[in-house]
Amino acid sequence: MLLTVLRRLGVFALTALVASVVVFVLLAVLPGDPARAQLGLDATPDQVAALRHQLGLDRSLPAQYVHWLGQLATGSLGISYSTRAPVGPEVLNAMQVSLLLVLAGMVVAALIALPTGLLAAVRQGRADGAALSAATQVGISVPSFLAGLLLVTVFAVRLHWLPSGGWVAPVDGVGGFLRHLVLPALALGLVRGAILSRYLRSALLDVQREDFMRTARAKGMTRWQALRRHGLRNALVPVVTVTGVELAGLLVGAVVIETVFVIPGLGSLLLRSVANRDLVEVQAVVMVVVLLVLALNLLVDLVYVLVDPRLRRAR
Amino acid sequence: MSTRRGRHALAAIGLLVATALAVTGCTAGASPKPTASSSTAAARADATLRLGLAAAPANLDFTSTGGAAIFQALLGNVYEGLLRLDQDGKVVPLLATGYTVSRDGLTYDFTLREGVKFSNGSPFDAAAVKFSLERVKTWKANTPGNLAALDHVEVVSPTEAKVVLTKPDATVPFWLAGPLGAMFSPDAVDSLATKAVGTGPFTVASYQTGVKLVLTRNDAYWGAKALVKQVDLDYFADASAAANAMRSGGVDALYQAEAYDQLASFKADPRFTVTAGSSQAVVVLSMNEANPALADVRVRQAISHAIDKKAVVAAATGGVATELHGPAVPTDPYFVRSDEPYPYDPAAAKQLLADAGVTGLNLTFTVPNRPYAQAISQVVQSDLAAVGITATLQTQEFPAVWVDKTLTQHQFDLTVVNHVEPRNVTNYGNPSYYWSYSNPAVGKDFAAAKAATDEDSYITHMTDAVQAIIKDAAGVWLYNPPNVVVATAAVHGMPTNDLGVGIGLAGVSVTG
Repeated sequence: MLLTVLRRLGVFALTALVASVVVFVLLAVLPGDPARAQLGLDATPDQVAALRHQLGLDRSLPAQYVHWLGQLATGSLGISYSTRAPVGPEVLNAMQVSLLLVLAGMVVAALIALPTGLLAAVRQGRADGAALSAATQVGISVPSFLAGLLLVTVFAVRLHWLPSGGWVAPVDGVGGFLRHLVLPALALGLVRGAILSRYLRSALLDVQREDFMRTARAKGMTRWQALRRHGLRNALVPVVTVTGVELAGLLVGAVVIETVFVIPGLGSLLLRSVANRDLVEVQAVVMVVVLLVLALNLLVDLVYVLVDPRLRRAR
Repeated sequence: MSTRRGRHALAAIGLLVATALAVTGCTAGASPKPTASSSTAAARADATLRLGLAAAPANLDFTSTGGAAIFQALLGNVYEGLLRLDQDGKVVPLLATGYTVSRDGLTYDFTLREGVKFSNGSPFDAAAVKFSLERVKTWKANTPGNLAALDHVEVVSPTEAKVVLTKPDATVPFWLAGPLGAMFSPDAVDSLATKAVGTGPFTVASYQTGVKLVLTRNDAYWGAKALVKQVDLDYFADASAAANAMRSGGVDALYQAEAYDQLASFKADPRFTVTAGSSQAVVVLSMNEANPALADVRVRQAISHAIDKKAVVAAATGGVATELHGPAVPTDPYFVRSDEPYPYDPAAAKQLLADAGVTGLNLTFTVPNRPYAQAISQVVQSDLAAVGITATLQTQEFPAVWVDKTLTQHQFDLTVVNHVEPRNVTNYGNPSYYWSYSNPAVGKDFAAAKAATDEDSYITHMTDAVQAIIKDAAGVWLYNPPNVVVATAAVHGMPTNDLGVGIGLAGVSVTG
């Protein structure tokens, strides 16, 4: 177990390092200069040069990178070029927002996928099963930003039930927080739920052909009972695998949803810092995202073990 | 067996939730200093005004960061100057009670309002005036060069300050009424990017970068207190997200609303009032005169004739903007109402091109990736094709790439951009500005206007310069975008005209 953890930490450090170099080089190659972007259209060359010096942009690229790495070693994510404040707190705050959004999206996805997947599998071959299957197919085809826009148009603009966007932190009011969370979570979760539902359905259909299911039915269980007792858990293993992959997708999907719903998460922060060519902030966000994806993968592995006792023995 | 499994499943879910909670805490996305009030139906004086804006401040320091967003939010609300612009663009006293100009135009004697304090408790006096104005030289952004004539400030007494210039400059009062004239507390300039200390009717409660700036009423304000307790400035990068927030009650008003395609439906809705006031902005199609073909005035005039401004205005703004015939906007004192010198006339354009001996002209047209510029580029491209000019469109990310490639490196033949800075017509007197336009007569006129000691002679020289620029067809001035304000019926007193300074919010009230 210790070895596994060490190996994972090593992988993380390496991934983060490679990612930081790639981001650094990419942003350096990209046209546009943070000092210029900040000073506006009427700045004189002298003013730009002065700000470049102040921000340390007049040093060589390797020197800038080493400086950034040195800061990281002391535990600081650096001072933002555009806000002139430490980026750490801001990135951490945005990460919490994105995580809450992804978690809520995942809950919505699970709430959709479990019943629809089960039903579609049980009712396979009948009209309602086919209809459910078709509905999930439609769900997969709708991009999440479109789902978001439609939800806003119907529930915020027409019906005035929920706010069209924005974010209220849980400490500022749980009611407001939940009201602002519903639509983005739905937009994010609907598509993922449809995908998961289809995986669950096909996994369940596979399981139903297994010998132990036939045995269970032979013992006198109904199809439903057999599925609940023996089928679901076995079908969940591939579903958890897909969920792990999907989680990374959910983080990326959150970037789009954050823009549609004006939510101050990692996605909005990343877009803004790239637009400002704020290298320090971009690097910080990338580091956090790499960390998150790896942490989520670790979590998925743990869930595997809980779902499938056989894996526990193998470790 | 099955109960044990159930426990494991529960444990798995518990672990997930616990991890999520541990990681996220419960402060996720909280403003740096959360504010308690979110009253909607309370008494008027306790009201919160929620105002939707487009461009967000990068930080709170407009002395070192460009872009209009920062001073738009802070000037007149948090910071104040000796002078200010009223809604008609006239310079009127604010922290000064009045001023006199010496006959030679070199000294301005200001008398100051008494009993004014900064929000950190420090007194506002002549020493603060000296400190603030002499500090302009060290500004990195927002055109400190406009106050280059300012030499020093003498503290005559705590309530009297003498501003001394190196040479006469009639534009000094105008610039003092803008961001450059903002008064700073000498003991509060160490962290301007995060802390704003001024004498204004509001103070900054919190700023969540790019998302929300919260202003609260300064109850110790020297003048008429703000009519609302709190102002939330909500920033929307996306114009349709802003419109949705307006429709669903997420904001009380939108300032400089950009979703032009939705204005008609807002106007038709009795819940909203829509006003289209004046702005200082000029949307101009610029021609790089470093290109030999474009250095020929006939080619520039041909391009001016080739473009259908009416179609441009319709495509970019849904027809709500004012067409321009020159580089000045209607609120500039030197604006002259005239007929379009280059009316839409493809035949005349072809004739001018033939006279210039230009055939098969191929131009690179760099276009900022903003909706207005994209819409304009389509119209311009087809208008130019109609007179035999091929424009190759090159979309550039704005501001980063456009500012780098087009503005700084001059790598373009044609480009279009919205210049928002007030009175920026003087850029045509700068031969190294991105369009490389140069006419010594224009430079002389600008210099004479600046040196003028009275308003009339300033206006005369400026008008001369503007007419020469128009005659040279130094640009194709397309339109002056309106300052569109959408508000609910409960909002009263929203400023309608944008003067390129701050949005004065102290006089805005919310009923109900």
